[in-house]
Amino acid sequence: MPIKRLFVANRGEIALRIVGAAQALNIETVVAVSDADRDSAAARLADRSIVLGPAAAAKSYLDPRLIVHAAKESGCDGLHPGYGFLSERAILPRLCAQHGIAFVGPEPDVIDALGDKLRARAMAGAAGVPLVPGSECVASAADARREGDRIGYPVLLKASAGGGGRGMVIANNGDEAEAGFHKASAEAVAAFGDGTLFMERFVPEARHVEVQLMGDGKGQVLHFGERDCSVQRRYQKLIEEAPCAAMPDHLRRQLHESAVALAASVNYRNAGTAEFLFDVQRQEFYFIEVNARIQVEHPVSEAITGFDLVQEQIRIAGGADLSVSQQDVKISGHAIECRINAEDAARDFLPSPGRITRWEPPQGPGIRLDSHMSAGAMIPPFYDSMVGKLIVHGSDRADAIARLADAIDNFVVEGVPTTLPLHRAIIAHPDFIENRIHTRWLEQVLLPDYGKKAA
Amino acid sequence: MTGHDFPDALKQLLDEFSRSGIRELHIRKSDFELYLSSDASAARPRAAMTVVAPVSASPTQPAATPKPIAAPIAPISSLPDDAVIINAPNLGTFYRAPKPGAANYVEVGSKVQAGDELCLIEVMKLFTAVRAGTSGTVHAVLVEDGAMVEGGQPLFALVRD
Repeated sequence: MPIKRLFVANRGEIALRIVGAAQALNIETVVAVSDADRDSAAARLADRSIVLGPAAAAKSYLDPRLIVHAAKESGCDGLHPGYGFLSERAILPRLCAQHGIAFVGPEPDVIDALGDKLRARAMAGAAGVPLVPGSECVASAADARREGDRIGYPVLLKASAGGGGRGMVIANNGDEAEAGFHKASAEAVAAFGDGTLFMERFVPEARHVEVQLMGDGKGQVLHFGERDCSVQRRYQKLIEEAPCAAMPDHLRRQLHESAVALAASVNYRNAGTAEFLFDVQRQEFYFIEVNARIQVEHPVSEAITGFDLVQEQIRIAGGADLSVSQQDVKISGHAIECRINAEDAARDFLPSPGRITRWEPPQGPGIRLDSHMSAGAMIPPFYDSMVGKLIVHGSDRADAIARLADAIDNFVVEGVPTTLPLHRAIIAHPDFIENRIHTRWLEQVLLPDYGKKAA
Repeated sequence: MTGHDFPDALKQLLDEFSRSGIRELHIRKSDFELYLSSDASAARPRAAMTVVAPVSASPTQPAATPKPIAAPIAPISSLPDDAVIINAPNLGTFYRAPKPGAANYVEVGSKVQAGDELCLIEVMKLFTAVRAGTSGTVHAVLVEDGAMVEGGQPLFALVRD
């Protein structure tokens, strides 16, 4: 049954995005807010907003009972969790099901299975998805050499009881594998009282690629192309692009097929993303994990496909079939998104909440801004520091970079420091322009210099 | 928990608490008690209690007719200047009695002591008592029994003795 009134259990730009998508489908909206978000843009745009409780997320956005109670009492028959907060906690769809509310997302059992790294890895393996080559336990230095030769160097020797980098050694050849076995095993005994080791291929320069998926819950799964999210700092994505221009077509096809096969093997319902590590030197990709929700960076996939993923999420949750077939999904041009955070890059990315005094975003063809900010808006100190996402769409990657540079140059923000100047520096760097980046490039190459210039 | 005579100080304290990384803060001083915790599952020393669900709650009610958010019965502006407003700590359903058919915790004119229970706020069958932060007389009940209240919504006005 199509959803008539949708409860939005999130805040910030994604709450606003969901309200907009629902309104385009003529669906009423109720936005849950904390005391700190009473006057948020989403609250003002929605048909109604409801104060859950205090600003602290644990007593508002992170309390599934409070949220489902509010959804039920406000007469909602659907609930969108957005991303973050409770979006991948199976208790939320379970409570929704108990109260006759359609959850905009996957089945709770699927969320649970994908949330467990080992189970997800086993499911991926069973669906024929490539995994990082690795070993079972290695018992001796000779074993380590044999396994290293088989897996291919460089390899990582890891303590199976490990964590935090202790008992972890990189080996570039057979001799280093033997020496590394003794070192890692001794470290592991000292740190964990257990010297058991296993080995995994080490990818020094990997790209992060991911496939946007949408399933109907009945076994049919579509993909909406891939994204390249290799500009990261401490595993947090800063810039996302679509498509992955560094990937040749034959690999891209395999990547899409792998992602679809994995999702179809669990009758995946609604939006999800399969994440992979792309070893550019070897031209291979390996499964990382599946994110069972809409992602921050979904707009770049929308830009290159012309398809509204959030509207489709809401339709599917209301029982509709997929509104397109795979051959209708056409990729056109190149899109780049940068996450604008209220952080001071010159001060180790210190979150900088406060009041925005000027907010004049760029406008023009191919420019999209997903943001809940405006002049006079307050960024409360209780939540993450993202204030918006600037997305550009161009005919190719070079055109998109040029448009993004213009867009950032014409973006006026005052009142709080943002990451916009950093984004401007990233996209002007020859490594970015020539697409020679990897997941540690920002921290290893750009940021050390960027810090010097700022100081 | 909050009297309207010190909202700024309380808000400042909450802000400081949220920023500080302190996990728990418990202040008790004559007729005033405040317990802050950054852990939602933490057992509060006095303010929270759980009781059996009232029979009126139907478990699988289809989402259809929304309960309107309770409009204040008495306009807050008409209250005496020295009235102390008791607000809802979070969203939930407002119950004036401990269980269906039982007498209300308080009526207009009831004398209450600091710490006395005034009502229950129910969230998914979990009932939390709201207690008086001060001794005094109930001047007004601002919400209908059984209505949904939002976080921070005024529930009672007390006048100190």
